[in-house]
Amino acid sequence: MNHLPARLTAMTATAAAVALIVTGCSSSSGGGQSTSSKTLVVDNAFDLKTSDPARAFELTGSIVDKAIYETALTFNGSDVTKPVPQLTTYTMSDDEKTITLTLNGKHVFSSGNPVTIDDIVWSYKRVQGIAGNPSFLLSNLSTGKPFAITKTSDTTMTITDTQPNPALPTILPNPSLGVLDSKTLEGHGGTTGKDDGAESYLNATSAGSGPYQLSSYNVSSKVVFKPNPKYVGDKPAYGRVVLQNVKGPSQKIDVQGGSAQLALNLNSQQVNGLASGSIKVVKTPSANVGYLWLNQNAGVSGGLTNQPDFVKGVRHAIDYKAIQTIAGSGSTQPGGIVPSQFLGSLESDENNTTDAAAAKSDLAKYQGRSITLSYPTDAALDGVSFADMAQSVQSDLEGAGVKVKLNGLPIATLLDSFRAGKLQAGLMYWGPDFPDPSDYLTFSPGEGLGLRAGWTKDMAPEVTKAKEAAIAAQGDARAAAYQAWQKAANADGAFVPLVQAAKYAVTNGVSGVTQNAIWTVDLATIE
Amino acid sequence: MRYVAIRLGLSLLLLVGVTIVTFVLTNLVPGDPVIAALGQRAADDPKIVEAYRAAQGLDQPLVVQYFLYLGHLLQGNLGTSIGTRNPVVQDLGYAFPATAELAVFAIVVAVVVGLVLAVVAALRRNRFSDQLIRAISVVGISVPTFWLAVAAYFLFFFVLHWTPGSGRLSPIYDAPPRVTGLFTVDALLAGQPDVAADAFAHLVLPGSVLAVYTLGLLVRFARSSILDVLNQDYVRAARAKGLSSGRVVVAYLLRGALLPILTIVGLAFGSLLSGAVLTEQVFAWGGIGQYAFRAATSLDLPSIMGVGLVVGVVYITVNFVIDLVYGFVDPRVRVG
Repeated sequence: MNHLPARLTAMTATAAAVALIVTGCSSSSGGGQSTSSKTLVVDNAFDLKTSDPARAFELTGSIVDKAIYETALTFNGSDVTKPVPQLTTYTMSDDEKTITLTLNGKHVFSSGNPVTIDDIVWSYKRVQGIAGNPSFLLSNLSTGKPFAITKTSDTTMTITDTQPNPALPTILPNPSLGVLDSKTLEGHGGTTGKDDGAESYLNATSAGSGPYQLSSYNVSSKVVFKPNPKYVGDKPAYGRVVLQNVKGPSQKIDVQGGSAQLALNLNSQQVNGLASGSIKVVKTPSANVGYLWLNQNAGVSGGLTNQPDFVKGVRHAIDYKAIQTIAGSGSTQPGGIVPSQFLGSLESDENNTTDAAAAKSDLAKYQGRSITLSYPTDAALDGVSFADMAQSVQSDLEGAGVKVKLNGLPIATLLDSFRAGKLQAGLMYWGPDFPDPSDYLTFSPGEGLGLRAGWTKDMAPEVTKAKEAAIAAQGDARAAAYQAWQKAANADGAFVPLVQAAKYAVTNGVSGVTQNAIWTVDLATIE
Repeated sequence: MRYVAIRLGLSLLLLVGVTIVTFVLTNLVPGDPVIAALGQRAADDPKIVEAYRAAQGLDQPLVVQYFLYLGHLLQGNLGTSIGTRNPVVQDLGYAFPATAELAVFAIVVAVVVGLVLAVVAALRRNRFSDQLIRAISVVGISVPTFWLAVAAYFLFFFVLHWTPGSGRLSPIYDAPPRVTGLFTVDALLAGQPDVAADAFAHLVLPGSVLAVYTLGLLVRFARSSILDVLNQDYVRAARAKGLSSGRVVVAYLLRGALLPILTIVGLAFGSLLSGAVLTEQVFAWGGIGQYAFRAATSLDLPSIMGVGLVVGVVYITVNFVIDLVYGFVDPRVRVG
């Protein structure tokens, strides 16, 4: 019997060797050859649900739709303050209620059909009619009333809000407002109402005029693009782009190993020391703002979070630098809730500064009392763990004598309770829907986010007054008006802006990667 | 025949139980799936929320939802995924073969390598090789799959360059024309041996990682079972008759130890499917595991129920088959 194990060992070793040889051979023929065959591989942690622009409003969906569809207006690179023409040019009416769009040269869909004003009107009406995730973009945010969309000639159209809306030009570059080939889609169930049935077609065969078109689409694993031969702009550098669903730790290994040329979801710890040789780290301030809310509803506040001196004390107790350290290199503390790269942002505000002595004084009568701080456990602020930030806040407040019970929840559960206004305090973030400070008025008393924190209009008339002044402001006066609104909210408000983390894009052997607050990255500009 | 009918009846009852358990557990999860699906701004608009709830059938009472679900299920309809907006059956039809390919590879590796190691360990009881194999077995059972996957990916892909990157195929290849959904098989059927070799190469590392736990478990149980029969009279008689060592191992030792080994293989399917959730995240595999993770983290209830049902059906089917094989291997089971 003694010779048997030797034989078995030999067989095992042989099998292992064969497996490794096959693996090695295939690896050398398949992996790592992508750049030379003009294939670009991009790693992204998917939140993809659909590639239908009228239904997509997720980060991955924006990357996909930006590559496939053109919009009436767009932004250059990472500058989201100045909309520039794409399919159309634009003019605003003097009362800032109406934007007029005029066709800008000749653009052609991948089907060969020319892009017309009818296509733009149809695409916008479809966004409104479907009542999907992004349909609010074409409605008044306060009243919910849809904008009037009208064709005025074969080359012009208008979009009209019932109230002055200087943000209109900054809304239109959103990839969810990508323009679709209406003639093709109407032949595949496309309508401008709830009966629209073109989503499955759009998830298999795109219908845009952008630089790429869909080659294959799997919502859970990967999306493959091929060039749109009818695209009238500069031809993209890559003949094939693979956007694949990979989590952070594997993204790092992929980009280091060269099997991906771009990784989009690495956090500050993961990029630390990564830049060397062909690997570059592109760092951009994120437009997502992490904030703390303190519920102002007496029934939820526990007699603490609705007290002005308690709120003031919390603002001074927080060690904002420590949170920036957690968020990593390149992170900043916004002065208000509007992120630093947008019009009307505040550089700093004395109400939100660390002052241990002031905090102890403000919180003196709350010593030993306890609050519950909720935070999402399965979501992160640009890779920064909310649990880490919650522990930092806990440590700061306990240093000032207030006990903090941490309450980590799945984000779906947290949002449910937060929306119902049931949570005493917590951490959350807000990502921009469009790059204009008016998007942040929801943080006002009596508005959507304000009400989630139990903050009603009558609780803060000064903030409401400042908000109305900001809405009424026009032209150059808007920036100062929005800054005044944020100062008022910081002085007497339910929200404490904490941090804007940095967003990292790690590249290996490619250039032209520019991060944008609305669509993350434009695949067509990568070389 | 009676034995098969009883096992089949029990399996069907279990299936009904699985539908109830998956439906109830899924709907007990706190949190509103509509709020989870919509953006914060869209969730503030009652019209959008109402339209979404109606479109997903979430405006019906829970009991009505269950019977609608059951009615649709009998017609092979598992509903529409909130996340992907595709029919869940279609999504699972794409995801399941990916995981099946991984699981079959893993189970083959685990069984072949595991049995070889178990035989070696049993025959060399208490020697160094036995101690080493037992240590490997304990490590295999104890190491967390997620950690092992990341470590193995780092070592074999990044450091040693022995294996390709993540995914089921290298980016330069398109998926072969779909017949079975198993890339290795479909590529061969389409006459694309380079794609088949690439698909196999991508299978090796995640499949081996997935196999480690089952392998560890199998070595432990198979070694113990083989030791039980090693000194049985019929084995000694076989040796005394001068049969070759290989014949004694295969026809006497392994045959005698087969029942507990079959039990482990059946149970291992459960751990393979749960292990796939983590392994597929690391290797961006695009199978049931990645689909389940996405569904669970976005409260995509129809998809969660679909995955639960498929896993339940696979588990019940595998164990039904193993019950039948028991009866074949050991007729005393049928009589009992």
